[in-house]
Amino acid sequence: MTAGEVVDRIKKNLGVPWRDTTYRDTFKSGGPDTLVRGIATTVFVSLEVIERAGAAGLNMIIPHEDTFWNDRDDTTIVSADPLYKTKVDLLKKYDIVIFRMHDHMHAQRPDFTYVGSARAIGLESRYETAPGSHRFVIPETTLGQLAADVQKRSGARALRVVGNPNARVSRIQLGVGYATPPVHSAEIDVVISGEQQETDGTLDSPAYVLDAMTLGITKGWIMLGHAVSEEAGMLEMADWIKGFVPEVPVQLVKAGEPLWAPR
Amino acid sequence: MPQLSRREFASLAATTAAPFVFGQRAAAAIAAQDVIDRIKKNLGSEWKPDTVDGVKAGDPSIVLKGIVTTSMATLDVLQRAVKADANMVITAQPTFYSRTDAQAPPPPRGGGPADAVAEPDRVFAAKAEFIKKNNLLVFRFSEHWRLRQPDPLARGIAESLGWTRYQSSNDPLRFDLPALTLEALAASVKKNLESRGGIRVIGDPRTNVRRVGLLPGTTPIQASLKMLPNVDAIVAGEVREWETAEYARDKVFAGVGKGLILVGRVVSEEPGMKVCADWLKTFVTEAPVRHIPAGDPYWRPAS
Repeated sequence: MTAGEVVDRIKKNLGVPWRDTTYRDTFKSGGPDTLVRGIATTVFVSLEVIERAGAAGLNMIIPHEDTFWNDRDDTTIVSADPLYKTKVDLLKKYDIVIFRMHDHMHAQRPDFTYVGSARAIGLESRYETAPGSHRFVIPETTLGQLAADVQKRSGARALRVVGNPNARVSRIQLGVGYATPPVHSAEIDVVISGEQQETDGTLDSPAYVLDAMTLGITKGWIMLGHAVSEEAGMLEMADWIKGFVPEVPVQLVKAGEPLWAPR
Repeated sequence: MPQLSRREFASLAATTAAPFVFGQRAAAAIAAQDVIDRIKKNLGSEWKPDTVDGVKAGDPSIVLKGIVTTSMATLDVLQRAVKADANMVITAQPTFYSRTDAQAPPPPRGGGPADAVAEPDRVFAAKAEFIKKNNLLVFRFSEHWRLRQPDPLARGIAESLGWTRYQSSNDPLRFDLPALTLEALAASVKKNLESRGGIRVIGDPRTNVRRVGLLPGTTPIQASLKMLPNVDAIVAGEVREWETAEYARDKVFAGVGKGLILVGRVVSEEPGMKVCADWLKTFVTEAPVRHIPAGDPYWRPAS
């Protein structure tokens, strides 16, 4: 089967209309005519992911994020860098076709990025206030204990936390990727998310949580990192694609967490 | 962070050759606005209208008692400034948690009824009240400060790390160090920039690095694309993870790049604000000037 046929089935099974105006969810390497021998889902198409997918005979990669180190995959920004050629050559070597699933993955219900992240950090669905609210009321614990638990379950080496570790918390709002829910909401004790610009945004979580802590107001912020936050859901994505593409193997090829923390 | 006692602060003030005993009303009293005017005069470039810089809270006509510079005017920093008897705070980051520094949270996404009155936010309100009650003036000085040459933010980091003598003659942002492992470099950066949990690294901990570039603040992929061919590792404030972090990961995998160390924006701009305090002292002699670090916002659970 061709990559075009796989994409047609994705569109047909998505449950929401395809928006052709997307610049994200398009082919980044190869095209609809490429013959597909196997499919790998991942959060980032790193060089290592290409090597492992290629070696496993999975020549269609469906990533959640960009391939060429900028959101629009604008190759004019990076084409002068030798690493760009290295990546393109490696993609050619394994005859790899890349089709990104970002905007439509977030538009889909459920949004697998949330499902996967909640699963990876141990937020059970019985604690979610309503399906798709991404708000969880868990048995009361401390921010320190919650962060330690999230770190242990997710394996995130470079997770970062702001807030008083002794603060007693139970109301969690889950965000994913670069979509960080507003931490100031009176309904929320803790935001757990992927990545956010540290200052100069529309509501700078670290500064707000620091000041809330100074005032003795319970607030916490746990940042998993972008890759850790959104990679788990690519397992759900792989399972979903398997359901309507039985002809070839479909599996998650983990990009993993790029960051580590020094002692 | 140890708090400076009033006595310590007075002795610090004495070393700045202030023409009055600290705590007493100076004969040649100046206003906070005078400091702002002198900043603009001494800057070395035109003051531009459409930047994030300027007065964020308070009345610029207050009689200046003392100046505190900091990377981020957190409530904790403001409280410590007041304890140290300073009434003008010069910050690199916003005061009210957004680029606009509006003294209220943004309206909720999706919105509610147009006439709905938002609940006042306790954190915004308490900070505004503290500034008002203590008659503080908060001035943001970020975009203009980093336009100065040589880059005062990079200079501050180099001074904190003891790297000044290793500065490359070709590139003021590059430092040619005696070879060390990426792990040792990260440990040194963590210790000397007083980082807690905010520091994160990409690369093989055992790899040797020698040429290190500095990218303080928040930088796009273009900055790293330009710098990385000439260095082994970059010490940066913050980058977008889907850009520079993934680029560094691929660079390391390809065996052509060695490391990227991220310390966070607030921590990366702190030494530059210490340099700013020293700079202010050269043209503000009527009141003491000192730097109070905001500290690393982040911690990490012990694993």
